[in-house]
Amino acid sequence: MPDLLARVDNDSELLTELLALFQEDFPRLRDALHNAVHAGDPLPVEKAAHALKGMLANLSIKHGAVLAAHVEAAARAGDKREIQQAMAAFEGEETGLLAAVDRFMAGGKP
Amino acid sequence: MKILIADDEAVSLRMLERTLERAGYEVTAVSNGREAAEVLCRPDGPRLALLDWVMPQLDGPAVCRTVRRKRSQRHVYLVLLTSKSSKEDIVEGLESGADDYLIKPFDPGELNARLHTGMRILELEDNLLEAREDMRYKATHDSLTSLLNRGTILELLTGELNRKQRDQHSISIVLGDLDHFKLVNDTYGHILGDEVLREVARRMLGSVRSYDFVGRYGGEEFLVVLNNCCAVETAADRAEEIRRAIGDSPIRTTQGLIPITMSLGVSVSRPSDTLPLEDVLCEADDALYAAKSAGRNCCRLGSAGRA
Repeated sequence: MPDLLARVDNDSELLTELLALFQEDFPRLRDALHNAVHAGDPLPVEKAAHALKGMLANLSIKHGAVLAAHVEAAARAGDKREIQQAMAAFEGEETGLLAAVDRFMAGGKP
Repeated sequence: MKILIADDEAVSLRMLERTLERAGYEVTAVSNGREAAEVLCRPDGPRLALLDWVMPQLDGPAVCRTVRRKRSQRHVYLVLLTSKSSKEDIVEGLESGADDYLIKPFDPGELNARLHTGMRILELEDNLLEAREDMRYKATHDSLTSLLNRGTILELLTGELNRKQRDQHSISIVLGDLDHFKLVNDTYGHILGDEVLREVARRMLGSVRSYDFVGRYGGEEFLVVLNNCCAVETAADRAEEIRRAIGDSPIRTTQGLIPITMSLGVSVSRPSDTLPLEDVLCEADDALYAAKSAGRNCCRLGSAGRA
């Protein structure tokens, strides 16, 4: 979390607040993305991936943001095969992300 | 300084809010574009805004277009803050009316620097508007008395005479001239004469309604336009009030109390009258001359008023 801590000017109270917001919002956004991919319409996929990308980037979760950006780009291009591939990569990351934040919030190391 | 932030993503919104509060801004945070446009279009709304691009109801560029279309009085400095980073996106964002464009995730230092740029521009605009208002005031008001100047009071009178016929109401004008004012200047000097003129102006303004016009017509001549003053008796009473306001108590100056009086001529224009400006003024001038001939410090009505 050092990058994020620097971005919030070492305000650990704000850091905790932001991560709590992440814990609350991330599952909702992730589910919206999954549902959109299953529905097969690229536009909602692009929007959901864009929202996730923004949230992850704001929290300095750079790798997660890059993976969400791949999904967004594939959806914008309307390439369903590419969407599936990008989603697979993103799914591989997302569980770990939530777990890391949960550990941090519980007082452990990310 | 008030600032609006609009973002439907909770983490981004909270991070921005805290960063800006720390920098001393008074932050209004909203989570959709329609609310952002509504707040920004209020007359007392924030003049700085950070707008996310992708938002429910109205996206960032649509907010920019709405604000530019609806709010014309003062400029609102709009910054699009988004993770859309292609050249096409930047061009589209700026073309929608945004003043600046920042890519997410924002760097707090860069964000503050860009907002300072926005504040400098708003300050520049405020200075220009203030200077324009100052020039407008100087061009329309008499520098000594702060009453409307001759050109402006005549322009207003012309407009009111036209409106009178259209709206079928009456107008009365009162032309007042200070009695023996030259003697005041010759005896006490022009500086004191100016003091007297300023106090006369103040008393005249205090004796008319807020929707009447008072102007300095010449050196010691004043013109009052009494809107919607139809009855001859009412106009005469109003002129008498002005006369008393000037003459009832001497004027306190740096050289002591100076008694001064005013003679006044009144002209009443009814809705059916079609007299041009020059004739209305001429009638008031004749009435003023009659007041002077009658011994000064009195009011006289023009010929239409006597009819």
